[in-house]
Amino acid sequence: MNDKSIQLSRRTFLRGSGVALALPWLETFAAIGKSKDETPKRFVSIYHPDGVGLPLKSDPAWKDWSWFPRGGEKDFELTKVLDVLEPLRGDITIYSGLSHPAARRVHGHSNADQYLTGAPIGGEGPYQNTISLDQVYAEHAGDFTRHSSLVMSTNGGVGGPRGAQTQSFNREGRPIPAMNKPKQIFDLLFVTNGKDAAERLARSKSALDLLIDNTRSLGRQLSKQDQQTLKQYLDAVRDTELKLAKAQKWIDTPIPQVDTRNLHLEAEPKEARLFFQTMYELIYLAFLSDSTRVATFQLGRENGEGPHDLLSLAVGLGGAHGLTHEVKKPGGWQNLGTYNRYQAEAFGRFVQRLKDTPEPNGKGSMLDNTLAMHGSASSSFHLSRNYPIISAGGRNLGFTNGRYLKFGKGNEDNQAGAGIASDAGWTSKMEVEELPLAKLFVTILQRLGVERDSFGGHTGTLARV
Amino acid sequence: MVLLVLGSALIILTATGQETPISLETAKELGRVKSRFLKEAKEVAKASDVVPKANVAFFHESVGPLLKQSCLACHGPQKSKGRLRIDQLNPDLLTGPDVERWREVFNALSKSEMPPKDEPDYALADADRGRIVDWLSGELNTASIIRRNSKEHSSFRRLTNYEYNYALQDLLGLPYALPNKLPPETASEDGFKNSSDLLQMSAMQFETYREIGLKALKRATVSGERPQAVTYVISMQEEMDKAMSGKGTKAAEKGKKKDKKLRNQQQLVHRETGDSIEFSVGKIQPRPKAVAGQTPAVSPVVLVLPRSNEVKLDLDRFLPDEGIMRVRIRAGRSTNKPDEYASLRLILSAHTSNNANFSQVISERDIPITASADNPQFIHFDIPLSDIQRNPFRKLTTAFPRRDEFLHIHNVSNATGGEEPLQVLIDYIEISAPFYEQWPPKTHTDIFIASANKGDEQIYGREVLNRFLKRVWRRPVTTQEVDEFMALFAKYRPGFPTFEDAMVEVLATALASPEFLYLTQRVTTNETKSPARITELELASRLSMFLWASIPDDGLLKLAEQGKLSAPEVLGAQVKRMLADPRSRRFSQNFVEGWLGLDRMNSVTHVSDTALRAAMLEEPIAFFDEVLRRNRSIMDFVHSDYAVVNERLAAHYRIPKVYGPHFRSVSIAPQTNRGGVLTSAAIMTMNSDGKDSNPLKRGVWMLKRILDDPPPPPPPNVPEVDLTNPEILKMTLKERIADHRNKPACISCHARIDPWGIAFENYDALGVFRTSIKNQPVDATSVLFNRQTLAGIDGLKRYLLTDRQDQFARAMVHKLTAYALGRPLSFADRADIDALTAQFRRRDDSLGNLVNLIVSSHIFNSK
Repeated sequence: MNDKSIQLSRRTFLRGSGVALALPWLETFAAIGKSKDETPKRFVSIYHPDGVGLPLKSDPAWKDWSWFPRGGEKDFELTKVLDVLEPLRGDITIYSGLSHPAARRVHGHSNADQYLTGAPIGGEGPYQNTISLDQVYAEHAGDFTRHSSLVMSTNGGVGGPRGAQTQSFNREGRPIPAMNKPKQIFDLLFVTNGKDAAERLARSKSALDLLIDNTRSLGRQLSKQDQQTLKQYLDAVRDTELKLAKAQKWIDTPIPQVDTRNLHLEAEPKEARLFFQTMYELIYLAFLSDSTRVATFQLGRENGEGPHDLLSLAVGLGGAHGLTHEVKKPGGWQNLGTYNRYQAEAFGRFVQRLKDTPEPNGKGSMLDNTLAMHGSASSSFHLSRNYPIISAGGRNLGFTNGRYLKFGKGNEDNQAGAGIASDAGWTSKMEVEELPLAKLFVTILQRLGVERDSFGGHTGTLARV
Repeated sequence: MVLLVLGSALIILTATGQETPISLETAKELGRVKSRFLKEAKEVAKASDVVPKANVAFFHESVGPLLKQSCLACHGPQKSKGRLRIDQLNPDLLTGPDVERWREVFNALSKSEMPPKDEPDYALADADRGRIVDWLSGELNTASIIRRNSKEHSSFRRLTNYEYNYALQDLLGLPYALPNKLPPETASEDGFKNSSDLLQMSAMQFETYREIGLKALKRATVSGERPQAVTYVISMQEEMDKAMSGKGTKAAEKGKKKDKKLRNQQQLVHRETGDSIEFSVGKIQPRPKAVAGQTPAVSPVVLVLPRSNEVKLDLDRFLPDEGIMRVRIRAGRSTNKPDEYASLRLILSAHTSNNANFSQVISERDIPITASADNPQFIHFDIPLSDIQRNPFRKLTTAFPRRDEFLHIHNVSNATGGEEPLQVLIDYIEISAPFYEQWPPKTHTDIFIASANKGDEQIYGREVLNRFLKRVWRRPVTTQEVDEFMALFAKYRPGFPTFEDAMVEVLATALASPEFLYLTQRVTTNETKSPARITELELASRLSMFLWASIPDDGLLKLAEQGKLSAPEVLGAQVKRMLADPRSRRFSQNFVEGWLGLDRMNSVTHVSDTALRAAMLEEPIAFFDEVLRRNRSIMDFVHSDYAVVNERLAAHYRIPKVYGPHFRSVSIAPQTNRGGVLTSAAIMTMNSDGKDSNPLKRGVWMLKRILDDPPPPPPPNVPEVDLTNPEILKMTLKERIADHRNKPACISCHARIDPWGIAFENYDALGVFRTSIKNQPVDATSVLFNRQTLAGIDGLKRYLLTDRQDQFARAMVHKLTAYALGRPLSFADRADIDALTAQFRRRDDSLGNLVNLIVSSHIFNSK
C-alpha cells in the first residue's frame, strides 16, 4: 500500500503538497516586507498515535512501564519507557495534565485531527477543523524561507475526516497533505528547479501589470474621494507584486547543498529504523539550510492497519495499534512501553543532533533556537485526556528545561484512566481537572514571536512553563 | 360606543363606562391621522443655486423665550444637565457650529422626553412645543440641503462577499455558489454589510479573488471530448427479480403474509401482487453502457420509504472527483392527504475506519414529492462533487482504510402513522456524474460563443473578450481595452495547449479587475451641479445591486445603453420585472438580515433543534417578502393579523393546521400573541441570554433596529449586577433590572432602554408566549421615559402604532435607502429622507411603493 496509497501527480504534488512553496497563491500569507530576522526560530511537532502505556499502580508493570515519570518537577525519575532520554534530561520538559477540552470525549481513533488544532470536531456527522499550531506559526515565519512549512507523515496525504494522516490544517481548517516518501521530500527541498513556478510567476506579473494600468485609468475618472478608496485596491495589487518578487527571489536563489550521508531515500516504513532516521534527518537538513522553520511529522495513523502500522518492527513487535489493545496480555505493557521507548529514542537522537550543531547564523546550538514537541492525543487506551507530551530545546526562546511539569488537579499520580482496555474508559466521566493544551500553544507562539494571546478560543499562557 | 382620543390614552370608553384598550387595527388608523408627514405640505427637497439663509429672526422672537422659560433652569448657567447650555447654542443652524446639539434638542422635544413630566413648573404647552419643533425641523432641513453638496459618503464601493458570489454565479450561469473563503465582513451601524466605508481590500483578499475567479471559470468551461459519465442505475423491478430468483424467495413469501410490522419498514413491494421483501442492496457498480436520462416504463415494484427512513446506497469508489452528480429519482406518494408532505434529502457519508466517519447533507434543499404513486414523477438533485466532503481514500489501491462512499436518500416528512401512512414509493433511481445537459455546456458556449471566426484566434479572441468584458464591467468596452487583454493573451498563449485554456486565464484576470469588484461612478466632464446624476449604466448597476445583490442582466444593460432606463415608466416596469425574478429573493434576505441583525442567531447556542433554528431564521425574511410582494403597509411589521410560518414554526407558536416545510401567510387569532416581526422567535431568541429573556438586549434592539434611535454605548465603568448578594438573588428579573437601573451611573440610559424590553417579558428565551415565570405571573408592564405606560406587548404595539408611526416609517425609509445606496446616510441626507418619508406615508406606507419611490428618488439617482 505504501507505494500506491497516495498517488499524486507531480503537478498536483507541487501545488498542494506538504512543502508549501513560498509561491503564490495563498500558500503563505506571511506579511510583506519583513526582513529576514537574524536567528531563525523553529518549531517542529512529532505526533505518535495510539497513546502510551498507563498501567494501574497495582499492576506489576507500573514500576517500569508507565510512561509518565515519577517524582517532582526537578527530581523526577524516568521509567524504562523514557530512560533513553536521560542523557538529554537537561534539554527536555515532560508535561502531564494537559488536553484539549473539545477532544476529551472523542474516541482515541479520531483524535489525531485535533492534536494541533483543538477544534470541536465531534465524533460523527459534518466535519470542520481549524488552523493548526504549526500553520499559525508558518503564517508568521513562512515568509523568511523558501518553504513556509514541511508537513510529513508515514501514511501521507490527508487521511479522512476523523482519521487524519497529517497534523497540519490551514486557515480554513482544511488538511494540508503530508508527504511520506523521503525521495520526494528530498527532491522538493533540495532538487526542484522551479521552471513551472517561474512560468506561473511571469504570467502573474503580466496580469498584475494589466490590472495596475486598468486601475490607473479608472482612477483618472473618479472623484478625489473615490480615488482614495480605489487606492486600497491598488495597494493590494502592489503588495501582491512584492510577494511575486519575493517568490522570484527564491527561484533565483540556488538550492542549498546538503550532506546526504545519513539519508536513505528509498526507505519505507516497514524498515522503521532507516525510515525514521531519514525522515528526522530531512527535518534536520531543512532546518540547517533554513529551507523552512516549521515542520510536522505524524507517525502512522490512529487505528492503524497495514504496513504503515509496522514501525514497531524496529523493536521486533508487530502492529503498533494492536499493542495498545493487548496491554492486558502477558508482556503487554512491556511491549507497548518498548515501542514508546523506541519512539523516544528516535526523537532523542534528533534532539541530540540539533544540540550538537552550532546555530549557523546565531548564538548557541540549533536546539537552543528550536522548540521540538513530541506527543500524542491519547494517554491510556482510546482516552483523549492527559496527553503525554515532551518538549525539547528552545533555550534562546525562553524555555527552561530539565523539568516535569504537572498541571491540573486530582491526577498527580496519573492514575485517572489508567489500566483501561475497553471503550467504557474513554466515554467515562472526567473526574479530574486538566488544563487546556491550547494554553501551552499560546506560550509557544508567543515565544516564537507571534503576537497572540489565544488559540482555539482559549486565552492566556500556561504558567510555570 | 363613543370613540375618544385623549392624548395618548389608548382606550375606548364604552357606554357602560368600562375601559377596554382599542384594537391594534384601530390604533393603526388613529396613529396615521397623527402623522406630521401627512399634515405638512412638505416640499421635495431640491438642491438650490440660491444659498438659503437661517431663520434667526423667528428664534429670537418666539423660540428663544420658550426655551428660556422651560429649559434654562436645568440647561443654563445654574445647572447644565447633559452638559447642555441651551442659552449658549448658536441659533444659526446653517453656518453655526451647534447643529448636532440642536438635533438632540429636536429629538428630545419631539419625542416629549423633555421637559420632564414631573417638572410641572417647566411644562411646555403642546402649541409651544409644536412651534419649537417646527422651527427646528425647518432649520435642520435647510442645513441638510446645504450640507448635501459636501458629498460626505460615496456609493463607490467594493462588492460584498455575497454580491461577489451572486455576481459570479449570474455572470457564468453556475447554478450553485462556489465555496467562498473571502474574509468575513462587518456590518455598519445600520446593520448592513454593503456599507461603502467598511468594505476594505487587502493583498490576501485580492489573491483570493484571483483564485476564486479562475476556479469559477474552470468550472464554467470545458475542454476536449465529453467525459465518459459514471452511471448507476437502480431499478426496483430488477432488485426484486434478483431477490426472488435466488435465495430471497423465502423472505418474499414471508412478506406475502403482509406482516403489519413491515408497514413502517423499508421494503420492496410489488404493488399488484402484494409481494414484499426486505430491501437490501450491496455495493452498486456503475453500468458501463448506461446512458443517463432514461425514462423506463413505470414498474409495479417500488421501494417503500416510510417517514424518516432512508435508503443507503454503497456507490463503492467510482464517483468522479469533479463535475455535477445528477441524482434522478422517480417517486410518488402513497397517500394524498393535503396535510401531509414528504420530501427527499441527500446525504453522503463514508466510514473509513473505526470511528473515522463522517456524513453530510449534500442537497441544498429538500425536494417535495407531490406526484401520486400511480403516476410517479422524476425529481432530481444536482450536486457539485468537488465542493462536498468526499472520502479521501477512494483512490487507494488497497481496501483499508475503506474507500466506499454512501449516498443516503432520506424521507423528510410529517406523516403520521395509522393504517395508511404516507410513504414515498420509488421505482427507479439513476445517479450519473459528471452530468451535462448538453455538450459543450451552456456555461461554456456563453463564454466561447459560436462564431464564424473560431478558426482565427486573433479575431475570435476579440469577440470573446468583447462580450465577456462588457458583462463583467457592466458597460460597453473600447477597442483599446480589448487590445490590452489581447496583449496579455499573446503572452499567455505559448504556455497553454489550447486557445481556451489560455483565454480562461486571461478572463480570470478580468474577474480580478477593479471594475468587476467595485461599483463605480465616474466623474463626467460637464458636471456643474453637485451632486450630479449617475449615468444610465451606473443606474443599471445600482438597481441590480439593490434588488438582486448582483450585476445587471443583458436586458437592463441594453436599456441603459440606449439611455432609456431612467425614464419613469421604463424604470417602473424594470423594478416590477426584477421583483418578479427569483433573484429578488436575495434582496429580502440580505436586507432583512442586516436590518434586524439576524447574524446574532449564529452565536445562539440554546436552540438545538436544527429545523426550528432554520425556521426561526427564515420567518422574518419570509414575512418581509410577503409584505413586499403583496405591497402591504410596513405597519404590518409592528403588528399584523397574519403570521408567515411553516409547520415547524407554527407548532412552536401553537398555530394549528399548518403543514409542510414551506412558509405561507396564515390568519391568526389575537390570543396567538403573534403578528409582525417584533415578537418573532428569532428576535426573541437572539435577544436572550441563553436561559431566559434579556429585556436590556430586547430594548436596545427595539431602539436600534425598529426606531432608528440607537442608545449610546454603555459607559466604561458599568457596575456589575452583584449576583453574590442574596438580596439581589431573591429578586425577579424585572426587579433586578430596576435595582440596577436606579444606580446613578445607569439610570439615564436604562430608563430609555429597559421599558421597551420589559414589555416583551411574556416571551421566553425561545420566543414562546408565557404567562408565568417560575410560578409568578409575568409582569410585562413598564413605563417609558416620557411616562408612557406600556402594558406588555400589546401595549407596546399600540403605543408604536398610535404615537410612533412617523418615527418607524422614517426609520424604515432610512434603513432601506442606506441599503439601496450601499453607504451610510449622514445628516446631509436628512432632507431627502424626510421628503421620501412624506411621499411614502402618502402612498399608504406600502413596502412595494417604497421600493419604487427610492429607485426614482433624487438621492438614488445622484452620485
